[in-house]
Amino acid sequence: MLIMSDVSKVYPGGAMALQDVNVHIEPGEFVFVVGPSGAGKSTFIKMLFREVLPTTGSIFVNGVDILSLTPKEIPFLRRQLGIIFQDYRLLPDRTVFENVAFAMQVIEAPHRKIKRQVMNVLDLVGLRHRANAYPNELSGGEQQRIAIARAIVNDPVFVIADEPTGNLDPETSWDIMDIFKEINATGTTIVMATHDKEVVDAMGKRVIAIEKGRIVRDEKEGVYGYEI
Amino acid sequence: MRFSTMDYFVKETYKSIRRNGFMSFASISTVAVSLLVLGMFLMIFLNTNNLAQYLESQVQVSVYMQDSATAKELASVKDKLTKMPGVVKVTQVSKQQALERFKKRLGDQQQLLSSLGKENPFPNSFEIQVDSPERIKVLTPQIGQLPKVETAKFGQEVVEHLFQLTKILRFGGIILVVFLAMATLFIISNTIRLTVFARRKEVIIMKYVGATDWFIRWPFLLEGMTLGFCGAVVASLFINSIYSGLLERIHATLAFLPLLPTYPLLLYVDVFLLVAGTGIGALGSYISLRKFLQV
Repeated sequence: MLIMSDVSKVYPGGAMALQDVNVHIEPGEFVFVVGPSGAGKSTFIKMLFREVLPTTGSIFVNGVDILSLTPKEIPFLRRQLGIIFQDYRLLPDRTVFENVAFAMQVIEAPHRKIKRQVMNVLDLVGLRHRANAYPNELSGGEQQRIAIARAIVNDPVFVIADEPTGNLDPETSWDIMDIFKEINATGTTIVMATHDKEVVDAMGKRVIAIEKGRIVRDEKEGVYGYEI
Repeated sequence: MRFSTMDYFVKETYKSIRRNGFMSFASISTVAVSLLVLGMFLMIFLNTNNLAQYLESQVQVSVYMQDSATAKELASVKDKLTKMPGVVKVTQVSKQQALERFKKRLGDQQQLLSSLGKENPFPNSFEIQVDSPERIKVLTPQIGQLPKVETAKFGQEVVEHLFQLTKILRFGGIILVVFLAMATLFIISNTIRLTVFARRKEVIIMKYVGATDWFIRWPFLLEGMTLGFCGAVVASLFINSIYSGLLERIHATLAFLPLLPTYPLLLYVDVFLLVAGTGIGALGSYISLRKFLQV
């Protein structure tokens, strides 16, 4: 469960990024966040894992007021979240296996569990056979699939994705979306900022549209709604 | 901390030191040179201190008699000396005994004696031990007035000079230590800053997947500590061989100089350097990480 109430964000310098945002996301939902560039999508997403703090309002993740967390508690919030970026953010000097295992080493999982679990998620994203490859030997779509594997390897409650298909061609984007659908089917909540009109329209999931920092639309089975 | 985590830290540290090969080498060298200077200084200081203490404990007046003094006159002087206030012990040293002592001190250079011929140049003398250094200043001129006494001498001046020297050394030492420690700290924190910079992407990803600050910090701290420790080992090896070599040479030529033996002195100095090097390494890393971890 994810609740934002009356959240506003003013950046230093006076730029108003978000204004009076109220959102309620139930467990297991698949939510697209759409809107023109600079509308506040990124700020919205970054607030969920506490990279950006709102100026006013409150944010609850699974009943925890994440604004009241001390710096020491932030890592434990992030362990419940799987975060995926447009630019994959893989480590170039580590193999696919190591990149995924990294997320488990960080939370001090035991060796044997790491091996099993990493192989499981690599299976899920269909890249088990590339476990020993390095990221630069993979295509963009494959790299993003590794990033997804890394995000879900610790069984997060939420997966938060910031334009995950922004750098990919339409066909590859569909492969990626299929993986997200599969993850969502296991009960994981997904919040995804995207510009991908076709995907949003075809998926028929909840759509939150942000314009000039305000939520202008929140529909259960929404469409992208903007001309590209 | 789990074993697998420690294993991970050690591997990361090793990788990082290798990746920054040149900077790691430069840091180790800087630490080594700084600690070498520090260690040498420490040795000089400890030895001077020891020498001053040794000389002070030897608060004795040497009384040299004229050669014309008869056995009776010697006995009378000894009697008078014994009765003086503050005198603890009077030892008579005959001409023959003085010669024997000199022979012993010469060791394997006995040939020097042959130039003396049959003549024994050493006078009859008394060695007087006094209960306090202050008393010596009063007693010495009095003793000089006794009949048939050639001269009465004491080593107080030397002792005072030495204590003054140790004071200067201590003061200069503190300044030197602070200066060297800062320079070393600067070099190590710079190296670690480069490492952190090279791995900033990794650190950011670690933060996103929920690594605690200490989990991120450890490999860098270990790296700094390893660099400091390696530098200290190099410095210790140099100090040990330099001091042992010096000691051998000095024993051969200036045998009477009471230098501290290698054990336990070198052990203490080595442990000190290793702890100092490792500590400076850890502190240097910590400083350069402080800013960086605020993501």
